[in-house]
Amino acid sequence: MDGVRVRYGQTLAVRDVTLSVAPSEILALLGPSGCGKTTLLRTIAGFIRAEAGRVLVDGAGIDHLPPGKRGVGIVFQSYALFPHMTAAQNVAYGLEARGRPKAEIIRRVEAALAAVRMDAFGARRPGALSGGQQQRIALARALAIEPSILLLDEPFAALDRSLRLDLQLEIKRIQRRFGVTCVLVTHDQDEAMSMADRMAVMRGGEVEQVGPPAEVYDSPATAFVAGFVGTTNRLHGRVEAREGAAYRVRLDVGATVTAESPRGFAAGDRVLLCARPEQLALRPAEDADPAAWPARLRLSMPLGPALIHDVEAGTAELKLHQSRHGPPPPPGPVRVALLPGARPSLFPASLSPEGDSA
Amino acid sequence: MHRLTGADRLVALVIIALAAIGFLILVGPVLIVLVTSFTSSRALRFPPPGLTFRWYLELFDPVRSAQIHVAALNSLLVATLTAISATALATGAALAVARTRAGWARFAEGAFLAPLVLPGIAFGLASLMFFSWLHQPPSLLLLVAGHTMIATPFALRTVGASAAGMDAALLESSAVLGASPWRTFRRVVLPLIMPGVAAGAFLSFVSSLDNVPVSLFLSSAQTDMLPIRLWGMMETALDVRVAAASGVLVTGAFVLLLVMDRAVGLTRRMSV
Repeated sequence: MDGVRVRYGQTLAVRDVTLSVAPSEILALLGPSGCGKTTLLRTIAGFIRAEAGRVLVDGAGIDHLPPGKRGVGIVFQSYALFPHMTAAQNVAYGLEARGRPKAEIIRRVEAALAAVRMDAFGARRPGALSGGQQQRIALARALAIEPSILLLDEPFAALDRSLRLDLQLEIKRIQRRFGVTCVLVTHDQDEAMSMADRMAVMRGGEVEQVGPPAEVYDSPATAFVAGFVGTTNRLHGRVEAREGAAYRVRLDVGATVTAESPRGFAAGDRVLLCARPEQLALRPAEDADPAAWPARLRLSMPLGPALIHDVEAGTAELKLHQSRHGPPPPPGPVRVALLPGARPSLFPASLSPEGDSA
Repeated sequence: MHRLTGADRLVALVIIALAAIGFLILVGPVLIVLVTSFTSSRALRFPPPGLTFRWYLELFDPVRSAQIHVAALNSLLVATLTAISATALATGAALAVARTRAGWARFAEGAFLAPLVLPGIAFGLASLMFFSWLHQPPSLLLLVAGHTMIATPFALRTVGASAAGMDAALLESSAVLGASPWRTFRRVVLPLIMPGVAAGAFLSFVSSLDNVPVSLFLSSAQTDMLPIRLWGMMETALDVRVAAASGVLVTGAFVLLLVMDRAVGLTRRMSV
């Protein structure tokens, strides 16, 4: 995608987005609703015409092609299976529309159904299938025409949580086997983290950061990304001094910490420090370390092998994530500090007012 | 167990009474006509003094009721053509309106439905003047055109309801899978809106079959229509064959309704 811009009436839904997807890669478009990710997907599919910019596949522009000639397959959130046809007829639909010979259609429908492990359900109508089964049929239907790009529009949103992980793994496995390039639209960061090779975090029609999920999680480019991908603790402070690649920051909660940042700050700048729940640690209340700040533990909640601590430090609410050993500590006064070696992110404080909603 | 209070019972009684009155008003007159059509008397009077089939035999007598037969065949032909053209028009209009959210679509929908509230007699006169201005002699095709105007809104309502319930993603899926718009219409859209199309065709057929105001202005001696002929027979002789013809029409409509319900109900079950 090269400088793609889409406008709905007066609103710019997608602002000059340039993105590339490598062959056989899964790229996730992640963002809150209204960020333009679905619009972008629909532009690739050819349902929407971009006002400016181009969509290229293997270097060739496809903007002039109708949806059916772009070599894309799509799985909708609603699956959009044809209710009056059987599962096998649904899968055969694209092949029939392309005028393939009957014998080939039969063979490829069987292969596609087998690939999604639905061979036994070919004669059923969508109404007689569960949500997960319908999704597999939708996937088989999209893959049967052997698209070069597979578009997934919130494909797991309508599924039970317990079913989601299974199907995410399965789709990823099938995607690997078919070697199909895949663009996944989702507002669920866990889904993007688990499915995608790279993710593009979008807000307000623009891409804020593109990168592998781990990189986006570990070094978010903006405070918004830090808040949207994973959980983040936001602590306001002021830069005291620069120490090599790091900055010494006086936090408003009453502690002085050092944090590295690729961004340049001057002494006295207001900054926002974003720390992951697993980057913070509880200390005893009588700890005198100047890098730890006073806080009050309100609640501890077990979550599988971990403990989530709900902590109040001045006006800031913090979440801490620790591995669980022994009984949870009693609520009361504590101190909180950055774990040694933790790499929180620093952002200019003035540029992140909207990030608070995430 | 929930116990019925006195007030609950009263409400139930009132509802049942209202339902009974409604049933009586709607069905009662039809029953009277049906019973009268079997009368042994020469007069259209209720209750009949005795019951016979003689009026039905006379109605189907090819010599004595030849004029009625001509009018009935005209009516059936016009109703069939009207059902086809009204349903085709309504399907196109309903799909166009369902597919767009633009303001003109809402306006167009209102305009399409306008003939429902337009007084039939005014429309009949208008169409007569319009066609004579175009120097068109009376013909069955003119009747089809006039009836289509009246019948299309009925079909538009039923097809529109079916089309509105259709997921737009189905059309997009079809397009992405490489189907042409015509193929999408034939393989996806039409099967899914079939209940609405069938119901629309049925309503158009019936509304054409018993249309009086438009036929009154547009029919002629050569293009006699059944309701007009029956009315003429009533005016001149209070002929009991009118009651027999009504009996045939009511029975025909009822049978058609049952068939439709079976067919459409079946498609609806199949499309779940």
